[in-house]
Amino acid sequence: MSLKVYWLQCGGCGGDTWSFFNAESPNIVELFDSFHIELLWHPTISIDSRRDPIKLNQDLISGEQELDVLCIEGSILRGPGGTGRFDEVYGKPKKDLVAALAQRAQYILALGTCASFGGIGANTEIEATGLQFLKWEKGGFLGSDFKSGSGLPVINLPGCPCHCDVVVGMLTALVSGTHIEFSEFNTPLEWYSMMVHQGCTRNEYHEYRVEETKFGEKGCMFFHLGCHGPIVHGPCNKLLWNKRSSKTRVGVPCFGCTRPDFPQRYPFFYTRNIEGIPIELPEGISRAHYMAYKGMAAAAAPSRLKTRKTKV
Amino acid sequence: MAKRKTKIYPLNRVEGDLEVLVEIENGVVTEARSAGIMYRGFENILVGRAPLDGLVLTPRICGICSTSHLMAAAKALDMFFKARVPDNAKRVRNVTLIAEKIQNDFRHAFLLFMTDFTNPEHNKHSLYEEAVRRYQPLKGETSIQTIQETKKILEVIAILGGQWPHSSFMVPGGVVCIPSAHEINHCLFSLRKFRQWYERRVLGCTIERWLEVKSKSDIDLWLDETESHGNSDLGFFIRFAREAGLDKLGKGHGNFVSFGSMDLPKHTAIKSHSNDGLFLPAGFSSKSRMHKFSQEKITEDVSHSWFTGDGSKHPYDGDTIPYASGSEGGKYSWAKAVRYDGMPAETGPLAEMVMGADPLILDLLREDGPNVYVRELARLIRTAFLLPVMETWLEETTLCKEEFYRDHGKAKNGHGYGLVEAPRGALGHWVKIGGEKIEKYQIITPTAWNASPRDAEGVRGPWEEALVGTEIKDPENPFELDHIIRSFDPCLVCTVHTINLKNEPRTIFV
Repeated sequence: MSLKVYWLQCGGCGGDTWSFFNAESPNIVELFDSFHIELLWHPTISIDSRRDPIKLNQDLISGEQELDVLCIEGSILRGPGGTGRFDEVYGKPKKDLVAALAQRAQYILALGTCASFGGIGANTEIEATGLQFLKWEKGGFLGSDFKSGSGLPVINLPGCPCHCDVVVGMLTALVSGTHIEFSEFNTPLEWYSMMVHQGCTRNEYHEYRVEETKFGEKGCMFFHLGCHGPIVHGPCNKLLWNKRSSKTRVGVPCFGCTRPDFPQRYPFFYTRNIEGIPIELPEGISRAHYMAYKGMAAAAAPSRLKTRKTKV
Repeated sequence: MAKRKTKIYPLNRVEGDLEVLVEIENGVVTEARSAGIMYRGFENILVGRAPLDGLVLTPRICGICSTSHLMAAAKALDMFFKARVPDNAKRVRNVTLIAEKIQNDFRHAFLLFMTDFTNPEHNKHSLYEEAVRRYQPLKGETSIQTIQETKKILEVIAILGGQWPHSSFMVPGGVVCIPSAHEINHCLFSLRKFRQWYERRVLGCTIERWLEVKSKSDIDLWLDETESHGNSDLGFFIRFAREAGLDKLGKGHGNFVSFGSMDLPKHTAIKSHSNDGLFLPAGFSSKSRMHKFSQEKITEDVSHSWFTGDGSKHPYDGDTIPYASGSEGGKYSWAKAVRYDGMPAETGPLAEMVMGADPLILDLLREDGPNVYVRELARLIRTAFLLPVMETWLEETTLCKEEFYRDHGKAKNGHGYGLVEAPRGALGHWVKIGGEKIEKYQIITPTAWNASPRDAEGVRGPWEEALVGTEIKDPENPFELDHIIRSFDPCLVCTVHTINLKNEPRTIFV
C-alpha cells in the first residue's frame, strides 16, 4: 500500500521539517522509497516542483485526489480577531485551507507543539491554537469531537521541534498498520509515556540530589535551574538528538517543550519552589514522601558526586 | 504586448511566508512588491518575560538558523549583564555558528536553488539532463548526498549544544557545556569527514587550491585545469550559470550590509581581517564604497507595513503594533522596511565576503556588479574559508584549559544588543530590560533586510529592486524571477502563477 502524504506549514518556524531531515536509518530518502510513501507536496522538499499546488489543493478538497496523511507543522493562526489574516495563502486565511483539507484526510498528524497545542503563540495577539487542543484544553481549531477519515482524532506529536524518529516512526506505523496506544492528549505512548530525564547522563546526580545553582557544572538542574526532565514526557534521552546527545546531557535544562503549556508563563532557567523543594514534582508523587526521600538521598550522596568527579 | 501582472507565491515558511507581486510590461519587469504574509508576533511575546527567556524563545523564530538567534540573544545579554565571555566559550559559540552556516549553505544551494535548473524551462540548456541527474529532489546524486552530509556536520552542534535545531546552550557569560577532549575529537572527525566531501564533491579540488582562485580569469584557468574541477558541483554551477545568463540577472541596489563575522578569542592563531575584534569586519558598502559601521544607523519604518506608527526608528525605540488593514494606505507586508543610514542593503554570504575584502568576490563585482551568479557562488565558496577556521578553533579548545562559562553580576535595568552574521546575513537582537523584565525586544533578521518593502520615501527593498528591469522570456513560466528571489536564500520553494489583468484573478477556493 502506498501512503499519500501532504505536508503543510502554518504558524511555525519550519523546525519540524529540518528536524525530520536529521532522520537516519531510514533517512528521508530511504523512508519515501522503501515504505512506499508518496509525498504529494512539501513546501521545502516537494518531489515534483512543477506540480501546481492550487490545482492539487482543489483536487484534494474535491476528493479527486486521495489524501491518506495530512501533516500540519506550526499552529493555526486565528488572529487578528478570529479572521486568520495573520497567516494567509493565495490571498485567503490559511486556516480555511487547513479546515478543508482536514475533512478529506484519513489521518492527521500535528507535528510539533505548535500544531498540537498552540505552542509559541497560544493565548497571544496572534490567537494561535493547536489542531485539536489549546494548551491543556481539548477543542482547539477542529473541535473536540473531530475525527479524521480513519476515525481517529488528530495524532499529536509534540516537541519543539518534534524528534525525527517520532515522525518517521509514526509514518511507518501508519503504512504497516501497527497498533498505536494514545495518551489523553492523543500522543502515542510509545514516545510520550517516558519522562525526558530517562536516560539523562546526569541521573546519578539527580538520584542523590546533587543540584546545581549555576551553569557549566555536571550536577542535576531540576531543583534550581528550571529543568523539566523529571516532570515532562518525551523521548529525548532515549532517542538522542542528531544521534549524539541531548540538551540535559550537555547542561541545558529541559524546558518541557512537549508539554501542552509550552512555553510556560513563568521564567525559564529557574525552578519555582517551596522551601527549596520544586513546586512541580514528578507525576503521582506524595510531597511528604518526596521530601523525606530527597533528604535521605542527599545525605547518602557519595563524595565522588559531591565533588563532581563523575563525568556526564 | 499586454501589460500583465504576475503573482508569485513563494512557499517560504522557514523565515516567514512571502509573496511577490510583479508587473511585467513588454516582457520586462516594471514593478515589484515583496510581501511577508505571516505575522507571528515574537517581539511582543517576549515583553514582560524574564531576561533569559529570549534564549529559549528566539531560537524558535527560525527552524534553520536557531543557533544564530541563540547567539544574538546571548550576545545582547552579555552586554546587558556586562559578562566577560571566556575564550573557550567564544570558540564553542563560533564553531557551532559555522556548522549551522555550512548546513544552510548547501541545503539552500543543492536542495532549493539548483532544483530550479531542473525546471523544464531550461530543457534547451546543454546541461539540463546533467542538472536533473544531480539536483532532482530526493533523487539527484547531489541532492541525496547533501541530505546525508549536512546532517553530519550538525552533529557538532549536538555534541556541544545538545541538539539541533532549537537548543539554548549559549548563556550570558559563555556556554553551559563542558566538552571533553574526546568530544571535541568527535567534532573534529565530523568536520574532517565533511571537508572530504566538500573537496571531493563540491570543489573538485583541495580548499587550498580553490583559495588560489582570486579573479574572474582565475576561474577560467581553474575550470580548464582538470576534469574534476569542471565536474564538481561548483564547476557545474559555474558552467550552467554562465550559459543560462545568471551573471546578468538580479542586480539590485549595489548596497551591502554585514554585522561582521564572529568574536575572536583573545588568544588564537586565527588572524583578524578587521580592527573591531571580529574575524571578518562589520560594514556597510554602497556602490563599492566602504563605510564605517555603526549599529546606531539602523532604522525600521512601517510606512508600507501592516503596523501602526510613523517615522523611522532605531530598534531600541521601535514598536510592533500589528494592524491588518488590507491594501489600505499602500501597506502590503508584515515585514518592516529596514534601512542602514536611510538606505536599503542586501545581506548574506556575498555581503560578508565583500566586507572581508575577498579578492575573487571583489573582482567579480568590479567586472559585472551584483547578480544571481555571484550571490550563489559566494554561498558555495564561503565554506572554503570557514572550515579551516572552525578546525583551528576546535583544536584550540582541547589545548586551552580555560573555563567555558564565567558567572556575571546581577543587573536589573539596562539594555543590550547582539549582532551576528547568520547563514543568510545580518541578524540583530535589541533588548531593553527594566525591573528584571523585558520591556522591549526588537529583532531584525537577514530576510527582513533582503525582502524589505518600500520605505516612506518609496525606495524599494533589495529584493524588489533586483527584480525590476528583468527580461522575462516566457511570462507563463518566469523562471528568471525564481532564480533572483532564491539567490537571496529565502529558503523556499517558489511556485509561480500568472494572473491576467483582463480576467478575474485566479484564486484558490477553499
